Amino acid sequence: MKLAYYPGCVAQESGKELDMSTRWVCRTLGIELVEFPSFSCCGSGFVDEANEVLNVAINARNLAIAERAGLDLLTICSTCQGMLSLANLRLTDPKVRTRVDGALKPLGIEYRGTTKVRHLLEVLTKDVGLDAIRAKVRRPLAGLKVGAFYGCHLLRPADELQSESAEEPQSFENLLAAIGAEPVYYRGRVLCCGFPIQFVKPEVASRIAGRQIEDAKGHGAHAMATPCPLCHISLDAYQNQAEKAVGKSLAMPVFHLPQVVGLALGATPEELGLSRHLVPTEPALAHIRAPARA
Amino acid sequence: MASEMVTAAFDVYRFDPARDPAPRYQRYSLDLAPHTPVLSALLKIRAEIDPTLSLRYSCRSAICGSCAMQVNSKSRLACETPIGPEIARHGRIVVEPMRNQPVVRDLVVDQEPFWRHYEQVEPHLILDPRHPMPEGVANPMTPEEVERFKETPRCIACAACFSACPAVEADPGFPGPMALAKLYRFVVDPRDQARQDRLVRIQPGGLWTCLRCHLCTEACPKDVRPSERIRDLKEMAIAAQGATEAGSRHAVGFKENIRERGVLIEAKLVRQTSGVGGMLGQLGQGVRIYRRKPEILKTPHAIEGADEVEKIYEALDRPNEDSG
Repeated sequence: MKLAYYPGCVAQESGKELDMSTRWVCRTLGIELVEFPSFSCCGSGFVDEANEVLNVAINARNLAIAERAGLDLLTICSTCQGMLSLANLRLTDPKVRTRVDGALKPLGIEYRGTTKVRHLLEVLTKDVGLDAIRAKVRRPLAGLKVGAFYGCHLLRPADELQSESAEEPQSFENLLAAIGAEPVYYRGRVLCCGFPIQFVKPEVASRIAGRQIEDAKGHGAHAMATPCPLCHISLDAYQNQAEKAVGKSLAMPVFHLPQVVGLALGATPEELGLSRHLVPTEPALAHIRAPARA
Repeated sequence: MASEMVTAAFDVYRFDPARDPAPRYQRYSLDLAPHTPVLSALLKIRAEIDPTLSLRYSCRSAICGSCAMQVNSKSRLACETPIGPEIARHGRIVVEPMRNQPVVRDLVVDQEPFWRHYEQVEPHLILDPRHPMPEGVANPMTPEEVERFKETPRCIACAACFSACPAVEADPGFPGPMALAKLYRFVVDPRDQARQDRLVRIQPGGLWTCLRCHLCTEACPKDVRPSERIRDLKEMAIAAQGATEAGSRHAVGFKENIRERGVLIEAKLVRQTSGVGGMLGQLGQGVRIYRRKPEILKTPHAIEGADEVEKIYEALDRPNEDSG
């Protein structure tokens, strides 16, 4: 299958390990990624706060790029997924549509509204399918307990995004089970990581991140895994701050979604960029019973 | 009929802070029809099994908002949550009091924090005594003005959103979704004469702590969609006052940041939000991250067609005549 690859800003910058591992996994599973150097930032929810219509317009431009190529758009970030999907939805409001068209038409850009926005999690679980992934597992992650952490914008607002059940999502846990890991269920898995206010109210953001990590740990998780690089920043890069906020050591390795899949499909830690994490992942890898491949 | 009954196991939170050293969960098992609301089941438990169970309820019809509680960790009205799907999904029904409000006893919470924030937004029309509304004369609104109220008046003040909000949990100073949705209702009311003041006053410590996680919108039994109204307030607050708070500086800074090259320049963002002083405060963290992720200091290449993004900004990034 062939998709318009929308890596988002963070995966091209400080979260490059997410891009590396996505490419590795897609190559291994036969997903062709078509690149468009013209894709812009999705606005990350912040542009939406400042100017809703502007946010819709810059995303309509992104969606139009994929539409012209006749491809569905692949996201690897819960926030990109949310912003691009919401743009599609808000364009159904004639007032928004008129203003957006008014800005795009003079640039020769037309967006008819046909681009489907698909997150890697959905592509892996629905299009590739769990059976096909299971068949390609070279190193089952048996022994590793993983707490999935979905990220708000993949799930909510549920009635608008038409995501799987936002309250009780299941796809990530099913995927973890398919690659041999043991999914851990905990309340925080569908809650917020705190990232949107990381730079606004750092201590509140860290308390929120800390609570979710504590929750996963309390339910026995050896590691967490997230389909969102912004959650990854909160949970991994700022985990030391979260530890301060909750007053205890957490030492919780946090994987990006394609990293856990890649591990099971036989990628090396180097290929997945695991050394780029702030919290070492080795303690999690040590729980995997099957030996790593050379 | 009997074949349609299910055996429902309830694990109900029990706690009397005056007597119990810690909360406990009490198991009750009942045979019930799957459509039975959780509230009816709890009332049956109280009537037939355990008269000591405390809970708050009134109308049983999703109108009064009294019976909000956590059902399998989700904030819900017990009167409109049928047991069948809960049993199917979780195998049992865990009933707990709402979060973010102290427990008085069992499922009854002290709603003082919720109402205090509500009062603080002054949830009533504020008129300028120098310009009284003419008596006996209708004050019609346009259909467009009415349209902006279509969700907020549905609120029944059940506090499900307050219970579900992670920002309230982490920062008790945050007013919470309901109070902010109520504030919105007065900010867009053309009769209210304190609209600008309200936008200015709510910002410090209030508006910008919202995480836009949409958990309030998910929890709301009346589809008030507080998170979307809070978004509207943020845009209106920037229009009214500019970027004066850390939160609005971050939103506006981010918007300006991607205008430059079409992609985020991570290195610039902290300075835009926190200023030079704030940057120094985060230096240690920055160095820690830089060691593993040196890209945080690199300026990414501009996207192809960055000029198109610029033109979209030129067309749309000015004060919206609809807002404020």
